Amino acid sequence: MANPLLGDTPGDTHLLLGNEAIVRGAIEAGVQVVSCYPGTPSSEVPDTFYRISPEGKYYFEYSVNEKVALEVAGGATLAGALTLCTMKHVGVNVAADPLLTLCYIGAPGGLVLLSADDPGCHSSQNEQDNRIYARIAGMPVLEPASAQEAKDMTRDGLLLSKKHNSPLLLRTTTRVNHLRGAVKFGPAPDPGKAEGFKRNPSKFVPIPAFSRPMHLALMERMEALREEAENSQYNFVTGSGEYGIVCSGISRAYVADALENAGLSDRVSVLELGFSYPLPENKCLDFLKSVKEVLVVEELEPVVENDLRILAQKNGLSLKISGKDVLPRNGEFSVTMVENIIREAMGEAPVPACECTLPELPMRPPNLCAGCPHRGTYFAAKKVFGDDAVYSSDIGCYTLGILPPLQAADFLICMGSSISAGGGVARASGQTVVAFIGDSTFFHSGLTGVANAVFNSHDILIVVLDNRTTAMTGHQPNPGVDKTVIGDNDHPLDIESAVRGLGVTEVRTVNPFNQKKTLAAFEELKALSGVRVLIAKEPCPLFTRRVYKTVAPQVAYVAESCTGRFECLDRLACPAMYKEGGKAAVNPILCNGCMLCLQVCGHIKAKKRGS
Amino acid sequence: MSDTKKIRIFMTGVGGQGTLTATTLLAQTVLSQGLPVTSGEIHGMAQRGGVVESTVLIGCKSPKLGIGEADILIGFEPMETMRALPYLKKGGLVVSSIEFMPPLSVAMGKQTCPTIDDIKKAVSACTDKAYYMANQSIGLQAGAVQSGNVAMLGAVCAAGDLPFGPEALEAAIKANLPAKLQAVNLKALELGVAALNA
Ligand code: SF4
Ligand code: SF4
Repeated sequence: MANPLLGDTPGDTHLLLGNEAIVRGAIEAGVQVVSCYPGTPSSEVPDTFYRISPEGKYYFEYSVNEKVALEVAGGATLAGALTLCTMKHVGVNVAADPLLTLCYIGAPGGLVLLSADDPGCHSSQNEQDNRIYARIAGMPVLEPASAQEAKDMTRDGLLLSKKHNSPLLLRTTTRVNHLRGAVKFGPAPDPGKAEGFKRNPSKFVPIPAFSRPMHLALMERMEALREEAENSQYNFVTGSGEYGIVCSGISRAYVADALENAGLSDRVSVLELGFSYPLPENKCLDFLKSVKEVLVVEELEPVVENDLRILAQKNGLSLKISGKDVLPRNGEFSVTMVENIIREAMGEAPVPACECTLPELPMRPPNLCAGCPHRGTYFAAKKVFGDDAVYSSDIGCYTLGILPPLQAADFLICMGSSISAGGGVARASGQTVVAFIGDSTFFHSGLTGVANAVFNSHDILIVVLDNRTTAMTGHQPNPGVDKTVIGDNDHPLDIESAVRGLGVTEVRTVNPFNQKKTLAAFEELKALSGVRVLIAKEPCPLFTRRVYKTVAPQVAYVAESCTGRFECLDRLACPAMYKEGGKAAVNPILCNGCMLCLQVCGHIKAKKRGS
Repeated sequence: MSDTKKIRIFMTGVGGQGTLTATTLLAQTVLSQGLPVTSGEIHGMAQRGGVVESTVLIGCKSPKLGIGEADILIGFEPMETMRALPYLKKGGLVVSSIEFMPPLSVAMGKQTCPTIDDIKKAVSACTDKAYYMANQSIGLQAGAVQSGNVAMLGAVCAAGDLPFGPEALEAAIKANLPAKLQAVNLKALELGVAALNA
């Protein structure tokens, strides 16, 4: 049976994750090319496209990074293909270079860029507001607030992009990506073949003489898109009253629930902006004129708020506009937070505060899984370098190595920075630097760092934590993997040859579960100088179970002879271990059988799984 | 939407426990009753043993649930039940596991978990409507540890605060779970309903 997301079954209703709804919307638009770099909270969009790709009528790829993904998408739309490119908010920083010029060149086949922002930093290093990118680059913005809208706006955004020859930003936030709701399907036409590239250098080659008119064309396009926003069904007014609210994105849901809770739905006018940029100025102006006071409810930056302030000033309106003066500029909103501000403005008492007090409970921070190969690498590195080296970290599961007792992450900037920023530390201070980077991150942007380190003769030990997959975001393939969820990788790239090709001569590859060899390799590389690379190669056990369908045949157990010194627990902190009656113990259900602990303490032994 | 009685359910557990599967199943059950449903989940790094929180909201637009808003709190791990108590509306329904999954700091003996009695006491300060069950043991009895979550959903449906009963959950299991998982989960549902009445 074909996947329901692909079926031409208008009228069907399915309960979908916001990210799955985006996939369906693209299919309803007739998407022809999809490129991406995975990143939470966007990951289920490409993962779903990938999983159903054997039956789908589109081309899909996991690109090596976001810049490449957007360039592939840019080429595809120039070839007339209806194209979707997906990434998380910080990915757009990587793709910013092609993005800004792509908006000059245009998107003949249609191009939607999904930017999944993360207010509240649920799984990200920052909470930047990418609606600002749309303003720098010159691209319209759609901001869904429900699963149904995630589907509809993806479809309509793709079609609108093609109609206006303009890249379009579909801006979601974690709550939208990860909500689930009923989605009513529309038709899913056969996308057919892309029209093909038509040569036209003055439109497509931004040499200065051509860029200048391109910039003018971009500005004209934005005016035409402003007209679309004026008439868009995604921008509408509900309720009535002298107190007005303008909201966009998921804040629209918070406002709706807050007004209902407070019983104020009939006394407040609400302008919802689902199509928030270019600002539908006439619609907004009519709204501003209809109320005495306006509250702008949008998470993160005062983007719409500033637009409205400018609009009011230009038109000589003197009504009170509030927003970031009463709502935070960081983190997520909640219904109660919004409700209390509205209640106050309307002269109502606030929602009673929760009086429940709790004792402090132990935290439950995420940890490297039981049997994670990174634990072996970190353990060996710390044994050899102790606290003397500066540990430069990167983005992936292995960032969790920051926690005690391993404490193997001293600083982190962005994807790929461990090598280049590590080189900066070494150059500036002469300190010993050990830089950790995962295999996926290595292909994302570590290669250029290696080239730079060799070229500039940095003194750095680079450790590639090669777990044969992209574990952090859900085991997506990268160029180095042998196997994926849907089959073999036909062209696996070899990291060792890659670094040698980049000029590194001192390269060792070890299995981090073999502590003796791993320690020896660290010692050997410690004694050398210049750019040295250690590849710690061993698959993620979760990936092994899912894709190779194998588990380690043995599990660890603690012998009676355990002296209760707890070296194993204190130094490894494997989540399968615990203390019991003054002795260490291993939970055989959680143990992944990596046999690392056996090499740390002689009182730990192996037995057959299940025995 | 406004004519549907709003019901807000908060679910919490530990990564890898099947909390999200249970959330989706409950949301599917609500949808199958023709009710407007939104559900939300936060699971960034959760599979590596962190806390997983999710919501099922009937008749609401927001996928998020704030402090003091939950009509029903389902805790798949007792300490997480306690941590999530501020979300419960006074007098709301609590269905909680009594089987601990200690976090690392506790396993390492560096911190201690509250006892079941501590947890029951904290809950009773907020509500008298609380049910406790050994979800993992029930799950094992049914045939798979994770099905203990479905047993708890069964108990929630049987407790009478939802506009539907366990039969709706039974139908949703039959309609949405792969064939090979149905028998185990139907058994778990039955055991969960029985545990509520025990
Ligand atoms: S063998 Fe030891 S270190 Fe490895 S997963 Fe099992 S308990 Fe943890
Ligand atoms: S998912 Fe894999 S790589 Fe990531 S922490 Fe767990 S075992 Fe390690």
